Amino acid sequence: MAKILIVEDDKFLSELITQKIGAEGYDVVLAMDGEKALDVAKTEQPNLILLDLILPTIDGFAVLQQLKTMPETQNIPVIILSNLGQKEDVERGMQLGAADFMIKANFTPGEIVSKIKTIVS
Amino acid sequence: MPEQQQDREKLQKLEASAKDLQELRTALLNMLEDTEEARRQADEDRKKLELIIKNLSDGLLVFDASWNLELLNPKAEQLFGVLHDEVVGANFEKLGKAGQFASLVALLSNAKEYLFRKEMSIDERAVVEVTTSPFHEQRGELSTLVMLHDITREREMEQTKTEFVSLAAHQLRTPLAAIKWSVQMLLGGDAGEISKEQQTFLDKMSQSTERMIRLINDLLNITRIEEGRYLYQPTFQELPQIVKTMVQSYQDLAAQKGIKLQEEVASGKVPRVLVDEEKIRLAVQNLIENAIHYTPRGGEVTVRVLHDTKEVKLEVADTGMGIPEQQKKRVFEKFFRASNAKTVDTEGSGLGLYLVNNIITAHGGKVWFESEEGKGTTFTFTLPVREEISEFLKKF
Repeated sequence: MAKILIVEDDKFLSELITQKIGAEGYDVVLAMDGEKALDVAKTEQPNLILLDLILPTIDGFAVLQQLKTMPETQNIPVIILSNLGQKEDVERGMQLGAADFMIKANFTPGEIVSKIKTIVS
Repeated sequence: MPEQQQDREKLQKLEASAKDLQELRTALLNMLEDTEEARRQADEDRKKLELIIKNLSDGLLVFDASWNLELLNPKAEQLFGVLHDEVVGANFEKLGKAGQFASLVALLSNAKEYLFRKEMSIDERAVVEVTTSPFHEQRGELSTLVMLHDITREREMEQTKTEFVSLAAHQLRTPLAAIKWSVQMLLGGDAGEISKEQQTFLDKMSQSTERMIRLINDLLNITRIEEGRYLYQPTFQELPQIVKTMVQSYQDLAAQKGIKLQEEVASGKVPRVLVDEEKIRLAVQNLIENAIHYTPRGGEVTVRVLHDTKEVKLEVADTGMGIPEQQKKRVFEKFFRASNAKTVDTEGSGLGLYLVNNIITAHGGKVWFESEEGKGTTFTFTLPVREEISEFLKKF
């Protein structure tokens, strides 16, 4: 089964989304900060990464940039899932190579899962 | 005694000329005094002028007819980080190579006409508005006055405000996302079966959360409009196409409310308009939503696109409740809601028409309405038609 890496520092949000994604049959791995996210991405080789932007240690933009420069992670699709969402943020995320940009408050967990399905399948 | 007679006459003449001389002396002295006074006055005026120039809170530079720097006041010294004596007399071209002046020289060299409050960064920390104005000096040569209004602090405040809003939006959205996701998962049965009654409560919770999320999005949009950097990469669009998709997406809501929603496009080729598509959609959406919201069952909402060579016009006409006469003036104010609107719907934020007005104005268009209470309202906005060719050429 496909493996999803969730990078999210809010414990409650990560629990909710883990439960929802897990219920769909995906393997879920978690990272609570930017540095961990990079480590886990390398070792676990997930099929997709859900990436928050405001994170402890290294912020999400920097994480994305590094993911896209490392050969072992550059082909993993990344969906930004954040509550930032000003035009400049979206633009920056897409330029750095994100597959999509979703504002948490504007989507339901169900909609997020549908998005994951379209990319992973 | 002819001799005596002669002497007396001589004496009289002498006395007369002495008197004349005396008067002449007085007159000369007076003149001298006047000249002295005038000189003192001129001196004082010059000093006063110097003092004004020195103490002006705006930077001031004067270039002579051959573009040599003639004058630079202390504020300009401070803005450019130079001393008066180091640069006065230097030629424009040479100044451009001196680093600090590079942006000013580039701006002035490229300007085809005199500038009015043109924004320019001197370096990373100082931002000014540049205004230039010609003036004739006594020799009849044309000098140029350059005024620099320091807006660094305003820009910093704007930056802080943007960062604050961005942060606040993020901080507000995070707990809301948690509520939204929890409710959605409960409703979706992720935590087990729910009863009909529980579902009713959860539906209400979900609606309230959505309202809150929309309000935050509106507030974000408004902050950005007020910053003046709201329009984002305008592109040429066909308004009828935008209207068509918007009308389509509101057919369900209109049908639910028993309202006939239709569109009409005037015949002939509608010129394309240069717009920020997302913002224009937001404006059209707000007008259609309002019309549907405030029109009773059985009513009609018609969206019309009209056009001539100068502008494209959009009308949203409803057969709704109308706007009370005495409140018409305030319709576009931020947070304003008409008294009759509040009785129908207590949830509106009072931001919709404020947004519409700002969006259309930012595009160089106008927005207005005609309304009669109990009969209906027609909102109209215009968008100017710009020559596509000239806009295209500007890119080169």
